[in-house]
Amino acid sequence: MTTATFKTALLGALVLPAAFVFTGCQSNQVRVVDSKGPDAIVTSGINPQDWSNAADQLVGSLLTSGALDKAPAQPAILAVDRIINNTTVNVDTDLLIKKIRVALSQTGKVAVTNTMGLGERAVVASEASELDEMMTGKKAKVIAPHYTLYGKLIQQRQAINGVTQ
Amino acid sequence: MNTVPRFAAGGLFAVASLVALTGCATNVNTVERAQPLANANYIADKRVVTDNTLARTVRVNSVNQDTVSGNLLKVQVTLENLKNNARTVRYKFEWVSDTGMAVGSPNETWKVITLQGRETTTISTVAINPRAVDFVFKMSE
Repeated sequence: MTTATFKTALLGALVLPAAFVFTGCQSNQVRVVDSKGPDAIVTSGINPQDWSNAADQLVGSLLTSGALDKAPAQPAILAVDRIINNTTVNVDTDLLIKKIRVALSQTGKVAVTNTMGLGERAVVASEASELDEMMTGKKAKVIAPHYTLYGKLIQQRQAINGVTQ
Repeated sequence: MNTVPRFAAGGLFAVASLVALTGCATNVNTVERAQPLANANYIADKRVVTDNTLARTVRVNSVNQDTVSGNLLKVQVTLENLKNNARTVRYKFEWVSDTGMAVGSPNETWKVITLQGRETTTISTVAINPRAVDFVFKMSE
């Protein structure tokens, strides 16, 4: 075998396995991906993992602090107010709120309501009270929430040397 | 005569490799109290290793637990990056009830953490279901 032939064979022996390595794990077929699993894609926008992490951090911090145990009554009444979106991304803040509501409700330490709160929520609470009075014939007592959940999404963009954060 | 250029090329390659391997190191130095005042509640754990590469890269140093908010289990895992370069791993907690049944939880999702070179860090989570008395910690690359 000549040197040139040997070199060609060696090059082919290296390139062919490399091609298999780079393409062997790719699949163009449509498949179901667990949105909570490690294969979920990450985008530049707010993705489900971001909501999940934010909600988990909030719930964990709230439970660890023991603040819910200091409410005048148990379970504590938590009113869910608005989450203001001050970003350029169109997101459904209910994704964040829902997870927080479910998590806190499972602890048994919080009774979550979205009919009590500030602004327009107070109107809903009043209407709910009137409906209850009409249905039961008893003067309904509107209980003020012990805690109110509200938030704001803030976006800050910084770019330098071609890198944008 | 032909060996001189080969030695020069080999030496140049060795030097370049050394620079490449050390130039990306992100090690972390730490300072803490010599006599810790914290009284951690460490628990004995059972480990099942199916990924030896991961086990040689990120090590679970300890696991301790606490009870928060009266009756909720909180678990903290201390991880250590055994390599000089930053490593990213995924982890997940799963909860088990006193009868051995898995307890579903909204916070049972895979999360990602990046450890800098030789960094030791802690990750913790709180079981939102009061029935959770045990846990399973999973880690993957």
